[in-house]
Parts: sequence; C-alpha cells; structure tokens
Amino acid sequence: MAALLMIAWIYLRIGLMFVGGGYVLIPLLNHIMVEQYHWLTLRQFLDGLALSQLTPGPLAMLATFTGFRAGGFPGALVATVFIFLPCVVLMLLIGRNYHRLKNIDIIKNTLDGLLPAVVGLVAAAAWNLGASSLSGMQEFITLAVGFALFKWTKISPMFVILGAGVVGLLLN
Amino acid sequence: MQTESAKVSLTEIFLTFATIGLTGFGGGMAIVALVERICVREKKWISSDEFLHGLAFGQILGPFSLNVCTFTGHHLRGIRGGVIAAIGFLLPSFLLVSLLSWIYFTYHKLPQLQAALKGTNPVIIGLIVVVAFDMGRKQIKGINGVLMALAAFGATVFFTLNAAWVLLGAALWSFGRAYFQRRLN
Repeated sequence: MAALLMIAWIYLRIGLMFVGGGYVLIPLLNHIMVEQYHWLTLRQFLDGLALSQLTPGPLAMLATFTGFRAGGFPGALVATVFIFLPCVVLMLLIGRNYHRLKNIDIIKNTLDGLLPAVVGLVAAAAWNLGASSLSGMQEFITLAVGFALFKWTKISPMFVILGAGVVGLLLN
Repeated sequence: MQTESAKVSLTEIFLTFATIGLTGFGGGMAIVALVERICVREKKWISSDEFLHGLAFGQILGPFSLNVCTFTGHHLRGIRGGVIAAIGFLLPSFLLVSLLSWIYFTYHKLPQLQAALKGTNPVIIGLIVVVAFDMGRKQIKGINGVLMALAAFGATVFFTLNAAWVLLGAALWSFGRAYFQRRLN
C-alpha cells in the first residue's frame, strides 16, 4: 500500500511537469526510474520505450510499463491514472470555462517560448541514452539506418521497431 | 452542431473513444486526425473551430491526443463525458501495454527476446534523435530559441541537472518574457 502511494505521488508529479508533448517523459522518467529509484536498468527502460511504441495510444503509455515494473498490475494502473490525472482535470476545467478564458495570448506565448527547452531536453536524452548504452560498430549502423527510415520514409515506427527486432534476433 | 435535446449516450462516447484508442497507431497528430475525422466530420459532435481551440489548449499539459478526447467528451456530456472519453481512449493501450509488460518482465531472460531487443535498442535512440531534429526545426525560431535549446541541452548533459528543474526554469523565463511583451504593447 505504501509502495502504491509512493508510485501515485511520483507519477502525479510527473503528470504536472508533462509539457511539450509525450517526448519530455523520456528524460523525466529516465531520471526518476533509472537514476533515482533504480526500478529499471537503462536497458529495460529502452526496451519499455520500444514496447510502448509498438502499441496504439500516446508514448505516455511508458508510464504503464514503468509502473508495472514498480508495482505489478496495480502499480501499472496507479501510475497510468495519476500521470494523466492533472491533464484530464485541466482539460475539464478549460472545457467548463472555455468561453471566459481571456489570457489566451499569454498562455500561448509562454508555451511557444518553452518549446525550445523541450527540444534541448529530448536531444540531451538521446545523447545520454546513447552514450551509456551503445557500443560497437553494428549498433551505430543500426542507429543510422533507423534514423534514416524514421526521417525520410513514411514507414510506421511500429514496423521499423519490429523489423529491428527481427534483425537483432538473426544477428545475435 | 448537435442540439441540446439529442444527448449522446455515455456508452456511445465510451465505445467511440475506445475504438479510437485501439486503432490510433502513430501517436500524437495521427490520433488527433482520427478524432477530427470521426467526431467533427462523421458524427458532427463538435464544430471544427471548437475542436481546434481544444487542440490549442491541449498543448498545455500532457499528451494532446488524450486532451482532445477529454475536451470533446466534455463538450458532449460535461465532466462525466470528459472522464468517460479519456478512460475509453486510454483503456485499450493500457491493457495492451500491461500485457506486454507482463510478458517482458516474465520472459526477458530468454536469449531470443534479448537478441531481438538488442536490435531495437539503437533504433529507439535513432527515433529520439529524429524527434529532436523535427521538433527543433518546427519549434526553434530565432536566436532566443536556439540559446534556450542549447542551454537546456548543456544543463542536462554537462551539468547533469534534473530535467524537471530545466523545464521549470524555462517556463518561468518564457512566462516572464510573454508578460513583459504584453505590458509593452
């Protein structure tokens, strides 16, 4: 029970910092799950990212995977509920006061101004994860091929990841 | 626009958003496009303008794919509608990811699964790099944006500062600028 309360509190805090789209969760969750609480190894964290990209729905389902690790199925449920609680409550409040919201400009300008920092954080996450998990020529070639496929083709990430899994199975 | 008298049932809201949640591969904008097609064009549950406003507000906190679902549900049936839409949208992914997590943590010592995941690992990092690239091209405008992105990158990589503090600092800075500009105009 105490463990579930702690999971709830941790994910609620992440939910409150959840700005600029799902990818900001990569640095946030990596820091908390891997470096702070050691609930996951770096490898497991990256595997979880791959799994949550294989399913429909937002990348934020990474919360379900990490919550599952922290506390089984109840942990997954609590993590998912609490990470999404702040944004659902906020959207309900906005829906209620939709016609009276006046300071839209200042909200919009603040958000626009904040986005470059999110970009910097995502780039830093790629750097940190890559620096601590990649080794050998083969992995860097896989990264480059993945980059090219995501960047210049319209193949769904799901198929690229599944394909990479098959290649990994054959090579190793 | 739907009239007040013809209320959409909560069951229909749930089933509609569960279908969206189940078929919404590709995340983010792909899901928003799906919601728009079903709720605005096919079912005419919400006007295009209001939907776009919901999308704009949806950028504030959390995934905007979830937020447009909550907003549309609320538009139809108030708080209950919004909550039902959010649950319906998340439930399929939640069950699927729970199942995959269970399989993963039970069998992750299997050499075959280890080998397959060793292949996906660098590709996932490649995906994050692409996201940083594309977001950067779209969101970084002018020297201020470049400096802020570099500062956030440097603070995390070289000074190992927690991402949450970086975000808080950037939010305060950005709010201050927006506030100051408004006072000038």
